[in-house]
Amino acid sequence: MLEVADIHSFYGEAHVLQGASLTVGKSEVVALLGRNGMGKTTLIRSVMGVSPPNVRSGQVTFKGEAILGLAPHLIAKRGVGYVPQGRRLFPSLTVTEHLTVLKPAAATHGWTVAKAFEFFPRLGERRYHRGNQLSGGERQMLAVARALMIDPELILMDEPSEGLAPVMVQHLEGIIAELKAAGLSILLVEQNLYSALAVADRVYILETGRVVHEASAAAIGADPETLTQFLGVH
Amino acid sequence: MSGLNAFQLLNGLTFAALLFIVASGFTLIFGLLRIVNLAHGALYLLGGYAAYATASASGSFLAGMLAAMLAVAVMGLVLDQGLLRFVRGHELRQVLLTLGVGLVLNDMMLVVFGGDTYTVPAPEFLRGALRFAGMFYPKYRLFVLVLGIVIFILLWLLLNRTRLGALIRAGVDDPETIEAMGINIRRIFLLTFMLGAALAGLGGAVGGAFLTLYPSADAEILVFSLAVVIIGGRGSLVGAAVGALMVGMLNTVGQVMFPEFAYFVIFGPMAAILAFRPLGLFGRTA
Repeated sequence: MLEVADIHSFYGEAHVLQGASLTVGKSEVVALLGRNGMGKTTLIRSVMGVSPPNVRSGQVTFKGEAILGLAPHLIAKRGVGYVPQGRRLFPSLTVTEHLTVLKPAAATHGWTVAKAFEFFPRLGERRYHRGNQLSGGERQMLAVARALMIDPELILMDEPSEGLAPVMVQHLEGIIAELKAAGLSILLVEQNLYSALAVADRVYILETGRVVHEASAAAIGADPETLTQFLGVH
Repeated sequence: MSGLNAFQLLNGLTFAALLFIVASGFTLIFGLLRIVNLAHGALYLLGGYAAYATASASGSFLAGMLAAMLAVAVMGLVLDQGLLRFVRGHELRQVLLTLGVGLVLNDMMLVVFGGDTYTVPAPEFLRGALRFAGMFYPKYRLFVLVLGIVIFILLWLLLNRTRLGALIRAGVDDPETIEAMGINIRRIFLLTFMLGAALAGLGGAVGGAFLTLYPSADAEILVFSLAVVIIGGRGSLVGAAVGALMVGMLNTVGQVMFPEFAYFVIFGPMAAILAFRPLGLFGRTA
């Protein structure tokens, strides 16, 4: 589904991604782990085509087609959904508008407003509220619902559990599992190791801009040495 | 309140309505594209001359207004696609570029129309005065007031009740994110730029019938528009309306009561507002 091969991304002259590679398969949940500042968000932004960073070399292919260098809206149109770090909701749009702005309310195919509110009942109750009037959990739900409106085949989620109460994190894990069951592929950046291991099939660990470890979630959960070495978990 | 009467208050209100029409276009462009379009005054004047030429030739004021909007929207298209496209993301270059375009346009209009003063001919039924509440007031100025209110309502509906409006608001909030959601924000930018330019053109047509058109009219309206948008807050329609009311009324009050401080009466309060609300009354951080 998604292949990232040897990409080098820069913020100005700062060489943040130094040849990172990874793959995400169909209906696979892949978690990208690593300490702060190791390049996780940079990798997500590089795939989405959002600038900065500047990607100077490497390849990104989605469904077999090269997407590196395309404008973000063209990448999204091909079926890549995006849940940005910090949600990035639109303060002046209502909950409903967050969805209808991407797909007309009258649309009947794929994800519709009605289907999104069925999937996230809490959002339906809050449909007339503005993005900045929601709780942290509701904001994250809305960020996910918004990403779904383009009927993606792959969703990039950048720290969706950040700032959420434990019960909301669990709820989010349930949603990720449901989306996977519905056939979506998910590339997940996580600080919360246990949340990542709960939902991911495979895990990559990023260290100073390179992938230094790849394993199944089950294997890495049983490998305290690696966890300690790269993630500082004891 | 010596010397200030209902007549002058109405003058303030009608001037505010004109300022709103011009400044609403300015704030749309400023809010979404982050461009302080210093050519906005020249676009206003261009609209005025286009309306004058068309209305004089055809005898129709409506045709003049439409021609002004169309001509200036096309100028906006050329400005955006021909020049601004190359300096995206460089705020200082954009400001300098639009300043230069404003100066060039102004000179070209001076060449074509000369230094004489023109008045866009208002239609017959808007000439003369209307008698109400014991006074006579020019019908045309009342028309400007009504038009300002109609434009406010139409823009409000566009921004708050249509999908394009929601796209524009999302673009004002966070252009990077809306683009990553599959929206070609450049196209929305261009449409907004043309709409903002068309509003400047409409302002020129409407203003050209009672403020008259002359070579430095662009700078005057630009300064007022800047004040309106800075007071109201970037990208805010309600802010532009409130700002236009404040500047329109203060301008009238200033001219009547403190003629020697007329500019201070506008820009003094503007500076005071900026000191306490740097983003304007209705402005928000990006």
